[in-house]
Amino acid sequence: MLNKRVLAVIKRELNERFHSKAFIILTVLMPLLMVALGAGSTFFMQWGEGHSRITIVTETPELSAAFKAELDSCSFVKSGKYTIKYYTCDKSAFKGYLNSVKKEIIDEKITALLYIPGSAFNDKKIEYYAKTPNISMQEKLNAPINKILVNSYFRGRLSANELQFASGGVDFNGFTVTEKEGVTEQSYGNIGLAYVFMIFLLLSLTVMGGYTLQSVIEEKTNRIVEILLSSVKPQELLMGKIVGATICGLFQMFIWLVPVFFASSGIMFTLPKFISVSLTIGPMIYLLVTFLFGLLIFIGLYASIGAIFDTPQDAQQGLFPVMMLIMIPYFMAISMIQNPTSAAAQIASLFPFANIIIMPARYAMVDVPLWQLLVTIVVNILTVYFVSALAGKIYRVGILRSGTKPKWSEVIKWIRYKY
Amino acid sequence: MYALEVKNLCKTFGSIKAVDDASFSVPEGSIFGLIGRNGAGKTTTIRMMMNIYLPDSGEVSLRGVKVGQEFKDKVGYLPEERGLYKKMKVLETLLFFAEVKGKTGRNVERSAMDYLKRFELFDRRFTKVEELSKGNQQKLQFIATILHDPEFIILDEPFSGLDPINTNMLRDIIVEKKREGKVIIFSTHLMEFAEKMCDHLAMIDHGKVILQGSLSDIKARYSQKNITLIHEGDISFLNGHPFVEKISDFGNSTGIRVKDEKNMQELLKLIIERGVIIKKFDANDISLQEIFVELAGKEDDLNFNKGVRNA
Repeated sequence: MLNKRVLAVIKRELNERFHSKAFIILTVLMPLLMVALGAGSTFFMQWGEGHSRITIVTETPELSAAFKAELDSCSFVKSGKYTIKYYTCDKSAFKGYLNSVKKEIIDEKITALLYIPGSAFNDKKIEYYAKTPNISMQEKLNAPINKILVNSYFRGRLSANELQFASGGVDFNGFTVTEKEGVTEQSYGNIGLAYVFMIFLLLSLTVMGGYTLQSVIEEKTNRIVEILLSSVKPQELLMGKIVGATICGLFQMFIWLVPVFFASSGIMFTLPKFISVSLTIGPMIYLLVTFLFGLLIFIGLYASIGAIFDTPQDAQQGLFPVMMLIMIPYFMAISMIQNPTSAAAQIASLFPFANIIIMPARYAMVDVPLWQLLVTIVVNILTVYFVSALAGKIYRVGILRSGTKPKWSEVIKWIRYKY
Repeated sequence: MYALEVKNLCKTFGSIKAVDDASFSVPEGSIFGLIGRNGAGKTTTIRMMMNIYLPDSGEVSLRGVKVGQEFKDKVGYLPEERGLYKKMKVLETLLFFAEVKGKTGRNVERSAMDYLKRFELFDRRFTKVEELSKGNQQKLQFIATILHDPEFIILDEPFSGLDPINTNMLRDIIVEKKREGKVIIFSTHLMEFAEKMCDHLAMIDHGKVILQGSLSDIKARYSQKNITLIHEGDISFLNGHPFVEKISDFGNSTGIRVKDEKNMQELLKLIIERGVIIKKFDANDISLQEIFVELAGKEDDLNFNKGVRNA
């Protein structure tokens, strides 16, 4: 099947793609964009935290002193990003005080105002006033304030040691259990990697599919296809287009994976420990293999959608079922990240079409039994075979017809046509 | 010896019979016209000849062998609706279309350059197709059709949408290729062109071949008792005249069918006596259009059916 005519079509597709500015920009800029996005979000997280001015109001000067002592020993206060003022007034005067600083709160000269009433020492209820509630700040303040409240509640009833235990927070020390390497210390890096894989797959499949869709519609509306079909068989033409787009897609994915590989192996730059990636080369190779199947399957589907319709607008609408085959697995994969070993995740990651996005993401996070990987490969080979036969039929009929927009029921009839 | 034989081709689209048991033969070295009004089934027939469509039944054979890929490699095809890749460059386009025909290398490149020079496109060989004028795009399309030196040249409605210069140019190419011994097949609804250019033809109407053979044989068969007249003056007195069986006005010329061949001379005399100036009086001559109208019905259909689109 791979004869000189198909090669000519492949060559033309590659030529057009690699001379397209949009393709080059996307391919080269994507890794840069990812790095910029990563650096940017870290920067914004820290920048957003800068210079919080908190006022803590208690009912007695002793309490204020106790909070000050505790908070000043906290690392986030030591870092200098928090300025904490203390104020003392009783319950009746607090309303008046709150009114007097209202403008400062609105102007964000006071980021947050905390009122710790006497009753808090029984029910742990404190009041928090701010223009914009900040959950991460509340989380930070939770532990030290809790410690003071617990200390005062149990004072005299418990020994110093017992007090220290009761008032301390829980220190999570995470470990991930895998078959191969035994127990390793957990990091969030692999969840990030799963996201990266999913986005890469989603983006590259839709982008390469979109290119194919456009080029099929161009050939159809410009009637180039008729000249081509006087030289090549429709199947040869379709195959040339699929193979061409697949080569471009694999090239693109390879370029995108290079920085991921260097980042995860720590050769170029080291990531903070909690997002370090424990990546063996396995998931990356598996990603490329699955992506290859994904391209063969989805490019075929995109091409047949292009052949059905005459205008890009109609084709965009007609693309809906194909997009569903990509988007539903994508959202399934996102929810799967919470629990990659659930039965639902396991079944979905073996399903035709769905496994293309779900399995690489799952494999990036947890150990997947070898048999499941092999099953997906078999499933994908069968899907490629089935989709090519279907796409070939639809493409062959659609590419030469023009006029009214066909109904789906007509398209189904095409499959039985003898052309 | 026939170069191509079309045997009992049928093709149905849904409930429409596009081609209905069509058979005809294309002799070696001929210019063959496939004639019929728009929507008659010409394009579908051509597509089946080239294996673009699979016929429901029947077959096409090339020198006795069923057509397949080797025929595609030998054909240069210019479809009715022409198109090129807009973003590709001129020379690149030519080499691509030759490559899908299996022709690559120095010789094709040299030949492409020669054609570009001949058709005054050489300076624009690195220009993108979309930047060419429509006339130049048409020229480029002709070159793409013949660059791989095909044995068969199939042209679907080749003269539609061409400016006069390109019309002449295409005619020159056709004549030149015929002289080289190539077989040229073209479809058209313009009877005048067919009459001037082809030596063999098949007439198609409603998917059926209603007439086929060499132009001279066909004319000889239908021209008896027929006169082609070009004149100035009023000849309305001939309507209902006992000598005359039928009069057809074709604008430029008038076709007159007499009841008996012996009446022709008397008719000529009668017209002269009435003071009508005769510019041409051709006894035993008939235009292709007259034959078509006689076989396929009213000429109104012929001229006003242009809205019907081929599938």
